Amino acid sequence: MRKFVIFFCSLLMGTSMMFSQAKKPTIMIVPSDVWCNINGYMMEFDNQGTVVKIPNYKKALQENADLLLVISKINGMMAERGFPLKNMESVMKSLEKNSAEDAMMSSKDSGASASESPIDQLKKVAKADIIMQLTWTVNKTGPRNSITFNLQGLDSYTDKQIATAAGTGAPSTSAEIPLLLEEAILAHIDNFNSTLMTHFEDLFTNGREIVLNLKKWDDWDGDFESEYGEDSEELGVLIEDWLADNTVQGRYSTTDATENMMFFEQVRIPLYYERNGKQRAMDTRRFARGLSKFLKDELKIINKVTTKGLGQATIYLGSK
Amino acid sequence: MRNLVKLSVFLFLVSIALPSQAQRRSKRKANEDTMNWKYEIECMGVGVEGTYLIKVWSYSKKTKVAMAQAKKNAIHGVIFKGFLGGVDGCTSQKPLARNSNLFNERKDYFESFFEDNGKFLQFINATNDGSVPVQDVLKIKKRYYKVGVIVSVNKDQLRKELEKAGIIRGLSSGF
Repeated sequence: MRKFVIFFCSLLMGTSMMFSQAKKPTIMIVPSDVWCNINGYMMEFDNQGTVVKIPNYKKALQENADLLLVISKINGMMAERGFPLKNMESVMKSLEKNSAEDAMMSSKDSGASASESPIDQLKKVAKADIIMQLTWTVNKTGPRNSITFNLQGLDSYTDKQIATAAGTGAPSTSAEIPLLLEEAILAHIDNFNSTLMTHFEDLFTNGREIVLNLKKWDDWDGDFESEYGEDSEELGVLIEDWLADNTVQGRYSTTDATENMMFFEQVRIPLYYERNGKQRAMDTRRFARGLSKFLKDELKIINKVTTKGLGQATIYLGSK
Repeated sequence: MRNLVKLSVFLFLVSIALPSQAQRRSKRKANEDTMNWKYEIECMGVGVEGTYLIKVWSYSKKTKVAMAQAKKNAIHGVIFKGFLGGVDGCTSQKPLARNSNLFNERKDYFESFFEDNGKFLQFINATNDGSVPVQDVLKIKKRYYKVGVIVSVNKDQLRKELEKAGIIRGLSSGF
């Protein structure tokens, strides 16, 4: 009986470890600035004397049927591979709807509205962890048309291109543009997914790559050169030591470090952590909370953690 | 007279047995060639959704064997070799297997998968092996042929099968 209980418990633990899953990144297709510019979907505004052009995605999605076709086709093929994408048009509609609902919402008891800081408002944009940036151009040589197709997978936090597929299809005199577009997607999507898979394999082997920012409030009397502990070590060095101990194989790069800020790139965080004997998925927020706890408990520095999606965190030192 | 009858029967049996023996030898050799990557694949165009349209060049002393082996080579190539792009809007495609040692690591699975008339046939949509054009049957040595057969491979179903069997990882596995 005892043996059976031990066997059952180990089976249960094994199962819970086995089914522990990493946080799945979100992916969204976005037309590139080049495509928006070529097709006239840009907004211009005067920013203190400088004319700035930004893409008008809403107009593009409302007016360009080819764009909808391409997005729909790629969405369908990615869903087929078990990786459904966020649909940009739906995200934008949800944002508008939620914004209107939030404005009307009030507490039943006190009449208070939902609190929202300016930074909360700024964060209300269509976003995803990985952006599939889409560009195509129609090439015309006499009566023949061909499509040059370029699909780039961009990590929203590290700004790295993590997947790609690009090329020019065969010229045709008879095929219409939507047909050529469809053919281009069929020809390129596997190569895109193959490079995306390489990125995921790297993620599972070497941990998720994130960006970590540390800043100080200007009213804090300390800085990153202040010395702490028995060895009188600088705060910046202590933070680097913590990162070396807690990243996968001690991997991180200190991109910038001054007395007021530290900026770390290529920080490889583990995909899982253990809590109550169970493996749980680690995300940037959880990782940054670990550093935040170290600063608060060991060095008595009060701090505030903010995160952006799965890959970016900022810790402000001095107060909440 | 009795000896003559015996001889005739013997010769008759030999005449039946020898070609089938030779056929078996050619088939065995063709299977070895597949496992030794002795075949070539070229892209024939963008296939319909979920498929690859490729031409597989196989080698054999017998054109019939080479034509039959094309199906196995096509699936083997899509899994382990990939193919180069070129004309007709073809783009190069990487193999489904991302590990070059995969065959040896999962030998049991693949040996059964690639058996003659095995599971691999499920992923062949269509071939032109019944009407191979003359220019696709090349005599490269005395009694040695290189035969090109166009094959449509159902790569989406093939990928799903390999993912389901735990041979390759799916895009979303681990998340």
